[in-house]
Amino acid sequence: MRLKQIKHIYFKEMLDTLKDRRTLISMIVIPILVIPVLMFGIGALISSQVQKAEEKTKRLAIFGQENAPRLTERILAQGKFTELTLARDSLEQALQDKRLEVALEIPANFELDLQKGDPAGVVISYDQAEVKSELAQDQLKKIIRQFEEDIVEAKLKAVNLNKESISPIKITSRNLAPQEKMSGFFLSMFLPYMLMILCLTGAMYPAMDLTAGEKERGTLETLLVTPASRLDIAAGKFLAVLTASFVTGILATTSMTLTSFLGMLRFDDSPQAASLSLSINPVSILLVVLLIIPMACLFSALLLSLSLVARSYKEAQSYVSPLMIVVIFPAMVSFIPGFEFQAIHTLIPVLNTSLVLKDVLLGTFEWGKIGLVFLVNTGYAAFGVFLAKQMFEKESVLFRV
Amino acid sequence: MIQAESLTKHFQDKKRGLIKAVDQASFTCNPGEIFGLLGLNGAGKTTALRLLSTTLKPTSGTAKVAGFDIVRQSLEVKSRIGFLTGNTALYPRLTADEVITYFCRLYGLNSGELEKRKKQIFDTLGITEFKDTKVDKLSTGMKQKVSIARTIIHDPMVLILDEPTVGLDVITSRGIVEMIRDAKRQGKTVIFSTHMMEEASKLCDRIAIIHKGKILIIGSLKELQEKTGEKDLENIFVKLVGE
Repeated sequence: MRLKQIKHIYFKEMLDTLKDRRTLISMIVIPILVIPVLMFGIGALISSQVQKAEEKTKRLAIFGQENAPRLTERILAQGKFTELTLARDSLEQALQDKRLEVALEIPANFELDLQKGDPAGVVISYDQAEVKSELAQDQLKKIIRQFEEDIVEAKLKAVNLNKESISPIKITSRNLAPQEKMSGFFLSMFLPYMLMILCLTGAMYPAMDLTAGEKERGTLETLLVTPASRLDIAAGKFLAVLTASFVTGILATTSMTLTSFLGMLRFDDSPQAASLSLSINPVSILLVVLLIIPMACLFSALLLSLSLVARSYKEAQSYVSPLMIVVIFPAMVSFIPGFEFQAIHTLIPVLNTSLVLKDVLLGTFEWGKIGLVFLVNTGYAAFGVFLAKQMFEKESVLFRV
Repeated sequence: MIQAESLTKHFQDKKRGLIKAVDQASFTCNPGEIFGLLGLNGAGKTTALRLLSTTLKPTSGTAKVAGFDIVRQSLEVKSRIGFLTGNTALYPRLTADEVITYFCRLYGLNSGELEKRKKQIFDTLGITEFKDTKVDKLSTGMKQKVSIARTIIHDPMVLILDEPTVGLDVITSRGIVEMIRDAKRQGKTVIFSTHMMEEASKLCDRIAIIHKGKILIIGSLKELQEKTGEKDLENIFVKLVGE
């Protein structure tokens, strides 16, 4: 093994990798974009759609207006509805055709029942599969409830009572979770998972390209006849793939940190801000990076070994996809609320990292546990590197074309 | 100089069982000589040349290339050979210049030597004008020139060429033939494999006919004619192979 040769091979592989569009997208674009898009994009999109729908006036048909003139007046005075005249028997069809959002039916004895103190029924018709129709139903209900409250208040006043007297018990719940635990609760669930997956996908394309891809293009043999030993070649390629994986991980961490800060600025003290903001400080960032290293090593070595066996890029993809699934499931434990970390979990790669990363992001980690997980994963990584080395020494693997 | 002694390579194939790709092959190629390995597809030519270039390890027997043992001194051998096959390709995303620079470095040329050697070879082969173009964008002829540059950039003593003209047009394969003749003039050892009789009889000083891993005969065209009583190389070949 000669460092000079490894250096030459490493720099060439990096140059080659950086000229590959697929790798650039998976290594740089995805980690930078995916986290902010997940955190803000989807939420913002949904809330803006709902807001838009809320602001729009809805079309309403009222049957039996004359039976409740006060209520009708109240509903129409809010300005949220435009009234539509409709034949009663065409209501269903009109709702289906989206000619209106909501309809209200008031029976003939409505006012009479109210005066008698009997429950006065009204019927609201709407289409639950339509967001706009559902919102219209909510708004209509709210107005009717206000109308109802006014009636109740007037009745209570008549017998010298107030509103509080009919709800004698007041319940207050206090949330005693520490700020760090509250904050980032949401993010700490999916960030460890995202980091694991991104480390894997970041290494995937270069690993396949630098092995099976080279076989397919006929460049691997060109390299094998140069005075670089198999070990030099394996080391140079491994380091290049590791760099890709690690850069992806670092970019994802950076993007996560920035997004988290932006999240706090945007939502100030709101509950959303609490669930988005993480315990991010120099120590936690350093720990995230430290925990990613052995994982990135393991992924890079495994991906290299698997794709070196393949004859072509396509074949490599079919070998690598199962690895993706093998990683996804243990990485997903961070999603399970209240998953208890037990001694045995330390020995399961990916799962152990996912769990300690979650603790680190919540600021509730234990140094001993982190050290143990780091050591165990370094062991796995060493095994992975050994496997990759063995593969590069095998004629039947290298010349499997 | 190349000296192969009982060079043997066996492969285990799941379907076909034990394959003797190269079986007890012994031959010598001298400096200033073009040595041809003539055989059908699957005769063992590629395996024999891969053994000489040390990318495969022999099952038994050995060979000395430029004075170094292919098993024990493989890196020494590699730094003294230029290896080219019809399918040793170049990195498509790199430019011609980047590719050649990379190989210069792997062959241990320092920066000063590297630039001098590159300029000399680029000028001779006419690569200078497209040296900054990506290999991907080059024509087959241009790619072949870069491949030749890659093969001889470190001024190797021995050239090992595995069917170097396969699939090339007349003009492009002429470039390869010129490289082979140049190497001979410079006193280098050249071994190349082919299944084309005409190419072998035109170029080679000595020819070895290989069939099913075994070398059937070695000698100059004249010697082969005398030994077999046939005039035409094709007839000699058919007579020996007997198929």
